[in-house]
Amino acid sequence: MSAPTIPGTPAPHTATGGSRTHAGTTSGRVRSTLIWVGTNVLHLWPLALVVLVWDLWIVLNNYTALVAARPWDAFADILTHPGEYLYDTWFTMMMSVGGLLLGTVVGSLCAILVWWSAALSGIVTPAALIMRSVPISALIPIIARIFGYESDSTVFVCIVIICFFPSFVFVLSGLVSIPAAGRDLFTVLGAGKAQVLMRLGLLHSVPNLMISVRITAPIAVMAAILAEYLIGNHGLGEMFSYARSYQQWDRAWGTAVIATVLSVAIFLSARWCERKVTDRVT
Amino acid sequence: MNTRKLTKASYMVSGVVLLVVAVEVIARLGIAGTAWPSLVEVYEFLGDERQRSTLWRNTLVTLESSATGLVMGTIIAVLAGAVSALVPILRPGLDRFAAIVNAVPLVALAPLFITTVGREDSPAVVAAMGVGFVVFVSTTSGLANASRTHHDVLTVLGANRFRRFARLQLPQALPSIVDGLVLAAPTAVLGATIGEWFGAPSGLGMMIVSAFQSANIPQLWAVALSATAMALIAYFIFIAVQRATVRRFT
Repeated sequence: MSAPTIPGTPAPHTATGGSRTHAGTTSGRVRSTLIWVGTNVLHLWPLALVVLVWDLWIVLNNYTALVAARPWDAFADILTHPGEYLYDTWFTMMMSVGGLLLGTVVGSLCAILVWWSAALSGIVTPAALIMRSVPISALIPIIARIFGYESDSTVFVCIVIICFFPSFVFVLSGLVSIPAAGRDLFTVLGAGKAQVLMRLGLLHSVPNLMISVRITAPIAVMAAILAEYLIGNHGLGEMFSYARSYQQWDRAWGTAVIATVLSVAIFLSARWCERKVTDRVT
Repeated sequence: MNTRKLTKASYMVSGVVLLVVAVEVIARLGIAGTAWPSLVEVYEFLGDERQRSTLWRNTLVTLESSATGLVMGTIIAVLAGAVSALVPILRPGLDRFAAIVNAVPLVALAPLFITTVGREDSPAVVAAMGVGFVVFVSTTSGLANASRTHHDVLTVLGANRFRRFARLQLPQALPSIVDGLVLAAPTAVLGATIGEWFGAPSGLGMMIVSAFQSANIPQLWAVALSATAMALIAYFIFIAVQRATVRRFT
């Protein structure tokens, strides 16, 4: 992948281009900063396009406010009622981040346990792959029926279970792919299985673990919102379900906007962590 | 080599058997309560002619939505990827957009389409969006794979941007696009069922929610199995396509 520039990292070419004529002067630096900010903002044009297409789509189809909200209505609702959104956003965020972390930890621990025996990991892996393929839209109602559909803890259980399988599969594949040379060296030097794991395996599977966190992060948010929609008493999913049943479309679309922003923010943080950690261990 | 393959296959078979046995044991011991049915119950449920035909009909509806979504999403995503390769000024924006668009939750979009696109069509549209995000990311990364040297060679030989795209970048991007499709195929099923969650008249997603609400446990499990089977089959089909593509294009 042609690493997309992250907002916040300086684009070197604009900086040098701007400072060539005004080297060292304050106005030169201000100018190059302005150019840098300007190009970065300009490169966000797809977001503006999304908002524009959203608005055009509604206007051109003559959808009335009874059917759908225009972007401005949704933004206005968010800006004028921040308090209404704050608690539910916080709730969904804590649920998804907590579920993501716990699911990842439990998944990694199980992967380590299973790795201990080659036969066991061979047997468990296909089962885990099948479980990973269950669409979460089918999994959540089942989990909700099993764990009770009145309480918030069921929402949490849904997220943990959904995050468990990817991290299990990724960490196990990291452990299985320990290079044979490294393993041989350790064995020759008299290391037991525990030492191979502690000194080689764990380190070797960290990049895989971080990939799984990055991939699972948006899924965790989606699971949280779906579970809240179906069973929750709090959170963006429940807020959406409420707004929808009372046909408050500006609120419903506003919730969708916030859910998207939250999911993207959690994804970007996970990706940032992945880069930091992977740089550190490889 | 052959014995290793055999061991692997026997592991796989015993893994699936183990999963089935575990599901059955949990049901028989009642560990998970009444919401965890014995597979015999699910089987008996499917033995009923009427139930089976209802499930089959709804499976076909979801299959159609997923397939439509997969085709639509792929076409749009590859076109958008082509635009980003052919019009360089748009590339940084689209790259950045691709990175975040991957994280947009389908569930935020699904209900909004129900009121606008309509109940029947929104599952396919939601599936198309999910597919489009995934395929766009893999397309742009595949199109960027072509080396500078190859570009230069073709340029020197007189190829313009479009020629280079058709003769160099697109063939080289194909394996990566197919990688995207492997991920996108189960996403299409997920998107279609999520689209059906929010009030579609038919489909597996609709059946799941109604089975959930009426606490019809065997139906809930039968529908979930059916959706899983569809996602798995789609996945394996594209794994086969992926192998064929890698053989041909790399």
